[in-house]
Amino acid sequence: MTYSDAISLMPIIITACAALLVLLSGPFLPARATCTIAVAASGAAGLFAAITPPSSAPAIPGLAFTPLARYLIPILCLAAALTLLLSHGYNQRRAIKGEEYPATVLFALFAMCVLPCATNMLVLFLALEAIAFAFYILVTMDLGRAESGEAGLKYLLMGAVAAALTAFGFALIYAGSGTLELGAISATTVNRPIISAGWGLVVIGLAFKLSLVPAHLWTPDVYQGAPAPVAAFLSTASKVAAAAVLLMLLAFLPPMTELHAPLYALSLLSMVIGNLAALLQKNIKRMLAYSSIAHMGYLTLAILTGTREGYAAVLFYGAVYTAMNLAAFGTIASLSTNEERSLVTDYSGVGFSAPFRGGVLALSMLALAGIPPTAGFIGKFFLFYAAIRGGQTGLAVIGIVSAAASAYFYLKVVVHLYMRPAEVTAPQPATPAESLALGMASLAIVAIGVFPAPLLKVVDIVLR
Amino acid sequence: MSCDFPILTLLIILPLCGALLLCAFWRSDKIARPVALGFAVAEFALSAWTCVRSSLPGLPGAPAGLSLFEDAAWVEHFGIRFTLGMDGISMVMVLLTSFITVIAVLVSWKGIKERIPLYFALLLAMESGILGVFLSLDLFLFYLFWEAMLIPMFFLIGIYGHGRRIYSAVKFFLYTFFGSLLMLVAIISLYLMHGAQTGTYTFSLTQLIQTSIPFGTSLWLYGAFLFAFAIKFPLFPLHTWLPDAHTDAPTAGSVILASLLLKTGAYALIRFGYPLFPEAARAFTPLLYATAVFGIGYGAWVAFAQTDMKRLVAYSSVSHMGFVALGIAAWSPVALSGALLQMVNHGVTTGALFAIVGMLDERTDSREIATYGGIWGKVPLLSFFFLLFCMASAGIPGLNNFVGEFLVLVGTFRVSPVAAAGAFLGIVLTLVYTVRLVQDVLFGKENKPLELSDLTLREGVLLAILAVVAVYLGVHPGPVLDIIKVPIALLTKA
Repeated sequence: MTYSDAISLMPIIITACAALLVLLSGPFLPARATCTIAVAASGAAGLFAAITPPSSAPAIPGLAFTPLARYLIPILCLAAALTLLLSHGYNQRRAIKGEEYPATVLFALFAMCVLPCATNMLVLFLALEAIAFAFYILVTMDLGRAESGEAGLKYLLMGAVAAALTAFGFALIYAGSGTLELGAISATTVNRPIISAGWGLVVIGLAFKLSLVPAHLWTPDVYQGAPAPVAAFLSTASKVAAAAVLLMLLAFLPPMTELHAPLYALSLLSMVIGNLAALLQKNIKRMLAYSSIAHMGYLTLAILTGTREGYAAVLFYGAVYTAMNLAAFGTIASLSTNEERSLVTDYSGVGFSAPFRGGVLALSMLALAGIPPTAGFIGKFFLFYAAIRGGQTGLAVIGIVSAAASAYFYLKVVVHLYMRPAEVTAPQPATPAESLALGMASLAIVAIGVFPAPLLKVVDIVLR
Repeated sequence: MSCDFPILTLLIILPLCGALLLCAFWRSDKIARPVALGFAVAEFALSAWTCVRSSLPGLPGAPAGLSLFEDAAWVEHFGIRFTLGMDGISMVMVLLTSFITVIAVLVSWKGIKERIPLYFALLLAMESGILGVFLSLDLFLFYLFWEAMLIPMFFLIGIYGHGRRIYSAVKFFLYTFFGSLLMLVAIISLYLMHGAQTGTYTFSLTQLIQTSIPFGTSLWLYGAFLFAFAIKFPLFPLHTWLPDAHTDAPTAGSVILASLLLKTGAYALIRFGYPLFPEAARAFTPLLYATAVFGIGYGAWVAFAQTDMKRLVAYSSVSHMGFVALGIAAWSPVALSGALLQMVNHGVTTGALFAIVGMLDERTDSREIATYGGIWGKVPLLSFFFLLFCMASAGIPGLNNFVGEFLVLVGTFRVSPVAAAGAFLGIVLTLVYTVRLVQDVLFGKENKPLELSDLTLREGVLLAILAVVAVYLGVHPGPVLDIIKVPIALLTKA
């Protein structure tokens, strides 16, 4: 392992060391200090990844700092940093004590940094499950609410089944091809059935992680039960990581025509059922859960095309979606007191009693609905453009119609924010950390919406 | 470009800057009104100067017929460019937009009591969006402004409206949003078709016009475009969002909705629909004739049954926009000139009518006709203007609507006598509801004892300006017709 290898693995090293440092020094330092260390570590890891040139040669066996890693790690680190900024105030209000929280976030981030660097299926699986493990813990962190523990247990049980299926799938692919190296797997006519079977099981496991219908049943309950910043992190970073796994497998494994039908069905069901179910929700976090199911349906549509434009659209939308969901869940976290502000009607009049956060929530809702000039519109446009260009016009039209219907429940939140008189007490002011996090997320939404060219160029470079 | 100053971009950005400024000072109610008025007047002055500027010698490198043109790379990955252009048609529309915005700011001076800076910020943001629609020549940019127009209007109706404002606002938004999304599919398909044929992927209007599209596909694509524009016109039966939105919006919201937003649909059909899909448009002409003529009669018929003044004027808008649709369907120079002129006239007349209804509403908190009666004696000035604009709306010669309707009917009669005959019948119905409105509100016995104060100076000035414009366009429409002559010739020749 040379010096340059060590530099390219710096994000992994930084996050691992920071996680251990926070865990060990936590009992002796005040909460603010541990949070600052964690945020600084995430920022440093992201910065390192952004400035290090990629190389396809493995730095250590199983890990290579690929261009995909260089694109994804900064996004994931930013998501973690914003989550930590948002959770600091939230945890103090909800009495979620202890250094375990930032340490677990950093452990999750560590696994997320390992994941896009993986060149070996086993490392990929380990990283995927390490992320899930960290989230099992994070979801249950709120000891004051029974929903939190229930959500964690549901996530654990279903996640364990999905992990088992994914592991079996990888095992079958290994049995069929004889190697765990991603680039070295080839499907001959002899081993194709086994590899297809393995693929099928892996797709089921990833469908769970991406909460695609019908593997989505955990999502609304877990998002509702988890603390709002954890839901923010879960809905953005872990989904982006799972989508990255799918992309990596599709890129390295031989093209599989057998995948077309399952992905088609998953995409269609997620888009339609996700949007329809969200129309009925009264709880804002459940509504956002179903909306993220629908958004993952749109992503799967782009993956389905199998074209370079489709994969570019997925990567672009991953970044955009992260910003939008962080803003949405972040405002929910910031506006919650010792009681979570969970119903949509609880946000009546908040647009005027808390103008900044009301504005951020309204912006994130409009972005999620795909209304110009936000980043959500550019992202949706890219996805549907890739879908139509890849030949999936029928599914794209269905997707667009369901996107039109989805505007209703996003607008409902905006209506409550600005057009209904305030029913509950005014929210407490936002802490500086929360304002910074929300400001950065909304800036990203607006900036990418008006000037998407830089991000598009970066995505283009990744896929070259 | 002979002049490097990006004046068209400035036209779009100036009201947006005003809106952002007002948002930043969202607590100070007192300075909001003067600042908003200042920005609106500055914008009007700028657009007036643009008209002067554009009569200078034409620009090299600009597409034919355009007097001002700006082009910059924006998102090269997709071939999206920031292309703005102004020809005679868009010039007239831009002038109308900035003029009506000044009127809208003046009309809401006293009517809005709380959250004033946000209100004026939304008005100015609307102006930016509408100007963007009128000026963009890149399909993606056009779509962006087309959708972005919805947001300020949604907030205007929802926060500052009355009655079932939330229902009307959401209905307005979802209706238009749905239509636009179908248009987005058509735009993307056209873009991909052009790219497959020529190898360059671009959203530029001038280049996409040259795509050769198989007839069957072009029917679908044009149908999607027409669907989106028909919702905005509105054409029967896609008009059901309009009465609710107009009635429940605040006064300035109704003014902008009627005078400007409806025109964007017509303008987009002329600018994008017909040039991109000439044969499909020709094939759809009978349908357009039918809905236009039916809309004229239907709008007038239902207007006659209304008891709420605002709803009556809203349905009259459906009727008047039917004339515009008729003129566009005929697609001859005379008819198209009439349609464009009618767009301007309708903007002025209906804007004025909504303003007057708003003034009455401010005084008595009622828009019901039954509340009024015989107010001529009490408020002679207001009644004079009310009568004037009602006569204009009915198409009395000497006032502006007559010229537009006349040109449309003459132009259509040459192409399709049946359609013109149907429209003539609609004019009779127009007179019916107008006379009934005037009679019930201005003359006759007063139904309830009312305390009405006559026009204030501000109201009088804005109505007088509108009246002068209406009369001027009625007796001397020549300059406007001259401005739009060249672009219309280019469009109808193609």
